[in-house]
Amino acid sequence: MYVLVADDSRVMRQIVIRTLRQAGYEWNIIEANDGQEVYDMALSEKPDLILSDWNMPNATGIEALQALRQAGCNIPFGFVTSEGSSEMREQADAAGALFLVAKPFTAEAFREVLDPVLG
Amino acid sequence: MRSGLVGVDRTQMLAITQDVFAAMVDGGEVLVSARFGAVPEVVDPVAAWVDMSVPSLGFGARAVVRTDRPTADVLTRALLMMGDDEHVGLDDFIDAFGELANVVGGNVKSLLSVPAVLSLPTVSGQAPVMEDNQFIQDIALDWRGHVFVIELWMLVLEPVA
Repeated sequence: MYVLVADDSRVMRQIVIRTLRQAGYEWNIIEANDGQEVYDMALSEKPDLILSDWNMPNATGIEALQALRQAGCNIPFGFVTSEGSSEMREQADAAGALFLVAKPFTAEAFREVLDPVLG
Repeated sequence: MRSGLVGVDRTQMLAITQDVFAAMVDGGEVLVSARFGAVPEVVDPVAAWVDMSVPSLGFGARAVVRTDRPTADVLTRALLMMGDDEHVGLDDFIDAFGELANVVGGNVKSLLSVPAVLSLPTVSGQAPVMEDNQFIQDIALDWRGHVFVIELWMLVLEPVA
């Protein structure tokens, strides 16, 4: 698996990657700093999965997802965000996200949403 | 009262902070507790905060995390899995301490009675000036012998039609 992890915080990217490993996912990971990089790297690197923060500079995660879908890119996309309200979950779902994991998260939280996606 | 829209109590603030530290720092163990007694004078204060804005109603909320720089450095080392004696650079301190405020604030936002827009975190050597805004509540916390204070304020914004 080739996975793009996006967060404007380097600390949080490290925590996400560390927790994915704890969950048993030994993936090849590339990192993005903001929503614009998510869009650019999704199209250039073509990862198998995108795990993205929501609230980021330049472009938000939801803006990146919407732009990717408009560009015809259907790479599986999930949010990892500190904001887990029902409104945001509905917005993520409407934009085509597969799941939203709220921060703080555990390895089990990742397994719950990722195992069904991975089949 | 618009302050009723920021209906987050101290028990919820404690639970959020315990969850954040347990998941992000302490390997699932709950090492944060409410502090009883006076908060000691801080020599090298630092503060990080995020705003939750509801422009249509002309109000918002601000979650502020306060501690001292040495404690923020301990937190940064823990988050980045650095050695106990490793130097913490300014960028890592700002990133780690700001992310703590971001995750605490994001969880507070989920408890507001109306949808709000979360800002990116701000990190400073001084607490934010809050003179025109309304203090809601705070809670002092112990973490591994260090002290953190979480504050919640109501912000008065210019209403947007």
